[in-house]
Amino acid sequence: MSSDLILVIVVGTALAFDFTNGFHDTANVVATSISTGAARPQVAIGFASLLNFVGAFISISVAATVAKDVVDAEVITPTIVFAGLIGAIAWNLVTWYFGLPSSSSHALIGGVVGSAVAAAGFDAVLADGLVGKVLVPAVVAPIVAFLVAGLAIGISYRVVGKQRPGIVTRGYRYGQIVSGGLLALAHGTNDAQKTMGVITLALIANGTLGAEADPPTWVIVASATAIALGTYSGGWRIIKTTGTRIIKMDAAQGFSAQGAGAAVILASTHFGFPLSTTHVINGGVMGSGAAKRLSAVRWGVAGNIFVAWLLTLPMAALIGGLTYGFTRIFGTGALGPVLVTLMALSLVAVAFSRRARQGAPVEAVGA
Amino acid sequence: MTLATLVQWKDMWQTVVASVVAGVGITFAFSLGIWGTGQFVEWSRDDRPAAATAAGVIATVAFLAVAAAVIVSILVMTQK
Repeated sequence: MSSDLILVIVVGTALAFDFTNGFHDTANVVATSISTGAARPQVAIGFASLLNFVGAFISISVAATVAKDVVDAEVITPTIVFAGLIGAIAWNLVTWYFGLPSSSSHALIGGVVGSAVAAAGFDAVLADGLVGKVLVPAVVAPIVAFLVAGLAIGISYRVVGKQRPGIVTRGYRYGQIVSGGLLALAHGTNDAQKTMGVITLALIANGTLGAEADPPTWVIVASATAIALGTYSGGWRIIKTTGTRIIKMDAAQGFSAQGAGAAVILASTHFGFPLSTTHVINGGVMGSGAAKRLSAVRWGVAGNIFVAWLLTLPMAALIGGLTYGFTRIFGTGALGPVLVTLMALSLVAVAFSRRARQGAPVEAVGA
Repeated sequence: MTLATLVQWKDMWQTVVASVVAGVGITFAFSLGIWGTGQFVEWSRDDRPAAATAAGVIATVAFLAVAAAVIVSILVMTQK
């Protein structure tokens, strides 16, 4: 009975994380379309939300990596998964509060690794999966997106350089509907799978599923719905940072950044790499800016984002580990997770009310 | 264990190649489509029908190539 209650709390928390993931990462998907005037904010967000939902159904490779290749499922308990999720949600909210586009994916993996280490030591971590499928792709993917976007914008400027600006801008704005849609689809398939993977891990840990089981259909549908609702709710503060503060984009840059991001995420998802979609799209945005003119990139803002990226894994791991330690004060039953959930909900309510008092959503540029 | 043995280099390499080909290829094809559209309009206005038709064909083929690349990328995702 107690383990089932913990499992229900874990599933609820995982779906809450999925919601914050969509909420937090809306910027990744729609910021470039909005900032170049390719789409109105509400239309872009609605479109992205729908495609995030659809994207969640097209692959389960990443879910398998999260469930089976990062931590040893045999030593994991639902409480460990719960503590990891709290670490991820807490870090997501902190970075959202300060308007930093950090990685929800790395927060999730960091949180689960931190709580697993706190519970069972470093033997609980599968080093080959963590390094080979998470850490190295985490470094490589944004660099590839940076280079692809830079190369792509260089080529596109050469091809259309002598055309009238009106037709070029209109053309790339139409193109951004396609590239933005593809990016939303890519985001849905890579990010929703991380939640599917974590819920599957908890179900395996609880003995509800076998060790090699794939995510059940209800997990896929619930994860798709949560990320789509989160995306629709939107994270306006981060949209502003990604869309206007890193570089001032034209439509061609927006198209190449989104195209590069979608290509990297879809290719990585095919091989089961749980990428940070945030890192990838920001790499694309910076690449498309730097290729035009190095000084076009606001490197100070980019530096802040870089620091947030560096801190995400260790900070989420630390919070996850501390949360697990706190829950164990109350034994192995459901009391610890219930108390942490109540405390987390209170903190979320305070953060949202403070943020709501401090400012209205930003206005879109060029929309 | 070393980094060399932990990383799945073949998958990583294929990911990088696919990303570069798709990311750069789609942008190039789309840019070619815009160029073709612009030239079609301009050459039609300048009363150069043969050149305008050629530009229109280039634009059409380029946009079809973009559409095909998007469809193929989604199909590849669903087949694993």
